[in-house]
Amino acid sequence: MDGSKVTLGRTAGLYAGAAVLRLALFTLFPGLPDLLTGRVEISTPVTSFKRLQEGLFLYNHNVSPYDGGVYHQAPLLLPLFSLLPSFATLPIFTYLLYIAVDLASASALIKIADSGEAGSSALFTSPRRQKRWSGFIVAAVFLFNPFTVATCIGRSTSVFTTAAILHAIAKAVAGAPFSAMVAISFASYLSMYPLLLLPPLLLLCYDRQPTSRAVKSGYQFATTNIGVVIAVLGALFQMSYFMTGSWEFLPSTYGVQLTLSDLTPNIGLWWYFFIEMFDSFRSFFLAVFWLHLSCYVGGLSIRIRRQPLVVLTLLLGLFAIFKPYPSISDASLFLAMVPLYRHVFPLMRYTFVIAAVIMYTTFLGPAFYHLWIYAGSGNANFFYAITLVWGLGLSLLVCDLTFAVLRDEWEVERPEMVGKDIRQI
Amino acid sequence: MPSISFGALLGNNSNLRARSYVNRLPLFTRAVLVAIVVFWMVGVQSVWDLRAWGALVPDLVGISSLYRLNTYPFIHLNFFHAVMNILALVPLLERFESEHGTLTSLALFFGPFVTIPSFMYLFVEKVILRANTAVMGASIWVFLLLGIEAIRTYKLNPYLVVGTHNIPTWTSPLAILLCVAALVPSSSFLGHLCGLAVGYFCGLGYLKYLAPPEKILRWIEGKLNLLGRLPHYVSVDQKTYGRFGVLPSSGTGALRLRRDPRMLKVPPYLSLLCILVGVVWLFLLPLNEYSRRTYISENALLPGQVHTYFSGSDQNVFRAYKHEVNGLADKSNIEVNDKLESIVKGLGLKTARQNFTYQSAGRVYSGENLYAILQAPRGDATEAIVLVGAWKNVKGELNRNGIPLILTLARYFKRWSLWSKDIIFLVTPDSIAGPQAWVDAYHDAHDSSRVNSLPLKSGLLQGAIAIDYSQETRFESVHIVYDGINGQLPNLDLINSVVSIAGGQMGIGVAIQEMWHHNDQYPDRLRTMLRGMLKQGLGRASGPHSAFIPYHVDAVTLQPFGDGWQDEMAMGRVVEGTFRSLNNLLEHLHQSFFFYLLMQRERFVSIGTYLPSAMLVAANFTIMAIALWVKSGHAEGEGDSKPNTPAAERDLFLPLGVITFVQSIAVIPLHLFNHAPSSALTPTFLLFAALNTALPHLISHYLATYHSPSTQQYHLIKAFSLLLLGMFLSSLATLNFSLALLIGLLASPLTFMRAWPGSPVLRYACTILLNAISPTAVIAAGAVYWGLDLGTVLEEAAFGWDVCGMYTPVVVWCVWWPAWVAGSVVVLGRPKAKESSSQGKGKKAEGKKDL
Repeated sequence: MDGSKVTLGRTAGLYAGAAVLRLALFTLFPGLPDLLTGRVEISTPVTSFKRLQEGLFLYNHNVSPYDGGVYHQAPLLLPLFSLLPSFATLPIFTYLLYIAVDLASASALIKIADSGEAGSSALFTSPRRQKRWSGFIVAAVFLFNPFTVATCIGRSTSVFTTAAILHAIAKAVAGAPFSAMVAISFASYLSMYPLLLLPPLLLLCYDRQPTSRAVKSGYQFATTNIGVVIAVLGALFQMSYFMTGSWEFLPSTYGVQLTLSDLTPNIGLWWYFFIEMFDSFRSFFLAVFWLHLSCYVGGLSIRIRRQPLVVLTLLLGLFAIFKPYPSISDASLFLAMVPLYRHVFPLMRYTFVIAAVIMYTTFLGPAFYHLWIYAGSGNANFFYAITLVWGLGLSLLVCDLTFAVLRDEWEVERPEMVGKDIRQI
Repeated sequence: MPSISFGALLGNNSNLRARSYVNRLPLFTRAVLVAIVVFWMVGVQSVWDLRAWGALVPDLVGISSLYRLNTYPFIHLNFFHAVMNILALVPLLERFESEHGTLTSLALFFGPFVTIPSFMYLFVEKVILRANTAVMGASIWVFLLLGIEAIRTYKLNPYLVVGTHNIPTWTSPLAILLCVAALVPSSSFLGHLCGLAVGYFCGLGYLKYLAPPEKILRWIEGKLNLLGRLPHYVSVDQKTYGRFGVLPSSGTGALRLRRDPRMLKVPPYLSLLCILVGVVWLFLLPLNEYSRRTYISENALLPGQVHTYFSGSDQNVFRAYKHEVNGLADKSNIEVNDKLESIVKGLGLKTARQNFTYQSAGRVYSGENLYAILQAPRGDATEAIVLVGAWKNVKGELNRNGIPLILTLARYFKRWSLWSKDIIFLVTPDSIAGPQAWVDAYHDAHDSSRVNSLPLKSGLLQGAIAIDYSQETRFESVHIVYDGINGQLPNLDLINSVVSIAGGQMGIGVAIQEMWHHNDQYPDRLRTMLRGMLKQGLGRASGPHSAFIPYHVDAVTLQPFGDGWQDEMAMGRVVEGTFRSLNNLLEHLHQSFFFYLLMQRERFVSIGTYLPSAMLVAANFTIMAIALWVKSGHAEGEGDSKPNTPAAERDLFLPLGVITFVQSIAVIPLHLFNHAPSSALTPTFLLFAALNTALPHLISHYLATYHSPSTQQYHLIKAFSLLLLGMFLSSLATLNFSLALLIGLLASPLTFMRAWPGSPVLRYACTILLNAISPTAVIAAGAVYWGLDLGTVLEEAAFGWDVCGMYTPVVVWCVWWPAWVAGSVVVLGRPKAKESSSQGKGKKAEGKKDL
């Protein structure tokens, strides 16, 4: 399991295996994709494939896709999907696109893992870094994670965001700040929240600059790259404007995320709160919730400055819990990044509890949703209680990973404390 | 004391700790505390202004009022000010005193530590700022002590590393100072700053000479025998240096307990206790103390409040229809429907038909449903109630009186103008497939290749009553069948309504769960409950009503039984009364319980009372799984493992692989038994049972030959298997309590199975036990016990899966069976010898913290 050389053949086999598994699920169980697309755990209002179809229909009939208030996704997805042969007649092309995107994410993950950034960054080198998983294993964990597979079969558009984020990180690790900025701009354009990853990503880019073309001044570096992001986003918005003919897409996509106007249940913590809330408090709590979501960025970037990749991982975990419309796709992205930290796994304390909680909620969630919606013998509290536990499980993982990483750093500072218990006094 | 009351909030243990903390406070700290409280109490009265007397007011400090320099720390503005300062001061002062001794503290805190800050304050306030702000309160000491502590921490641990920046630790009180100044109203920034400055000076050692010399203190102590006379006195010699920065050597109670190797011996007993309590709990339920009398929750139902008019001349109509139906007894489904349709059309109702063809276990179940809709004179066709009659009941008998009764009721209902909901009369050729096809199609959830869509529809179904009246003679009582598919139940209000109408209004007896005679004593109640649980657990359709329940349409089947003097008209009146009640509904039945166990027609337990028993049984697996996981993390030293032995790295790949393999081959029996033709079912089952006995041996042999797993890996196999089982069962318990409990109890021996490397006798005993409770053995035993043909049982299971969406086979083959296989593999396991495994572990072992 230790980092051995990944031969090209093995990786190709992995990709082929993952692709065949997905194709088999798509074709052998024809009811499965639609079943998964309808699940609230997979499809949120801002990533649902069904809503994409609706938007596509309107778009192909020269009606604004945002009429009717169903479609809340980025406008540029529409020309992409209308380029493909019609989904109704030839769904295989859509399936292939989704499989390709998953494989692209995996290839980015392999690059990140093989760079060794997780174990030794520019400012910090973990004494445990020898014990790590190769890119092959990390990619296999990602590709065969049931959450990833379910997201792919459910054709949630969040896979595009996942791929963009992973590519941004891979490019940053590879020392290509410009490409990283372009990728993160695409991710932000698609889902908005990845923009919050910009500060740690900038730090990562800065740390991993190739020595030949290094920009010494941090401010200059930051300004240049933020400029790139603004330019790319501006270009994307302009294209969207030309395509839809109005700026209507801004409130319909980002506005929905900011104001949470669609209260479809999901596995996050927002919907129930905002259903129960009196309207007069709504704007205040929206601000609080968004502030809460974004406040981690600064704190983590400063505290774990020496390992920006850790910050990115932890932020992805926090987003999977606290963003307005989370789905298991976000959890799968976080769980894809966690195996990079194989070297600190021995320092984690609650792995079994975390695994048990996540597994329990994976089964109890759909059961309680069934009781609520279909059997009618439960109510919304059942499902919400389980989403709380799900959030608890993920936040335990985030906390435990933070603990392990900080302990790892601390043991370098205080070598005499290695292996000893610490306790608060 | 605030700390005590706070402790009481946290529960007994912390309460004790808080109390012992308060009891251990040293003398001077106590004195200061008492002084603050006394001054606060004195300040409560309004005759004499204590605060004006004792505060540090710069303009009023003269030679005669120098006492103010000493009194102001004891005086507080109000209760909250005092409490906050006490909470902040006591821990700090307690540390200081136990380090430096009571006498030193007394000398310092009545001398330099109170006067120097106040002189500084007076100087700045009066001379530089030329202002006159009075200050009071012990917070000046808080900051002084914080300053001392901060300097000390700084010497030990100079920097707080935030990112790449080093922040000196001595600045932390400054941060607190700023926060307090910003957040606490009317706090004196300057006063606190003065205290802090003195604290810094003292911490740096510049004020050391102010402390009284030890020699003199010792002399005083010796002369006055202070140590003997004063309780809680801290002597100069007792004082402990270097208390800070030293980590407590051994943990608190809970932590020590956690590391106790004996803790690992508890879980099996705990698991056993869970199972026992779960079972005993179940047997307590029929007692009066644990069950409740039923009651009608939905006020709109008003059961038995209307007069029923179904009698008299309707009896002649009934006889006529019965004559017609008797003539159709041997006719085909189509001919029957032709005749019935002409009768119903004659009544002026809209009719329609629906074809369906199901295939299961190589058999074809097909037929044609006939239904008619009576449009509500006072409704808008948004809601409907259904009256169902199957041509043949579950046992295959002709519904001789039921069909004529439905026709008569249709004619009778048509005459009334009071219906606010449409009434649908449905006649199906059989009791299970027909209603299923109709309900599926009504909700557009049907597979249109097997079931036709409905040409005619009404509104949302609010309830359904099925009549199963095949008895020729007069009847005594009515039997209510209420079990739905997968153990779902109709709302309890519906059953209550029927009980209240039939039993209360009409004087007809009511029975449930085939308990034809019920004396309402413990044995009968228990029997009723267990029968109900068994039916619920099997999850099969028990009548024409079953298909309705998964669609959230509350439904029951009414079966007249016994030999009495009630005639068909009485049965009709029961149906009339029930329909009148359902007609009253303003919204869907939702008030009463959906999860309950009935133990008599008027006695039930609700989910809150009975769920713990299934959850406890499911929890026993989880407890054992966690225990095994923890155990597998300990290095292999069996029993004598000391708390400090380095934890072993777990090798997860083999156990995960085994569990994944076992779980994935579970689809084979599921597929096999759901797709084999009915003639092949029994042979397939026997073959599978034989293979099933051999399978654990094969897997175990394979593992031992190619992987030679260690004890730890066997522990992990069992841990994962039990974890999955516990997880599935606790999820299932929320959907189908009885099934979860049943499977949980049958699987409970798996908790206690372990490898027996040294004792072949025990190994074979366990293997035999496990084979006796294997899923195949239990199915065969069940079939023999109830005198059923094995083929029939399997066929019905396949039918339930194919037609009704019954998931019991999935639970048996994909939850129970894999756990059983994994358990058997563990029992047959022959772990590697200890020496070689410990060597292998030695390489991998590293300073991993245990879980």
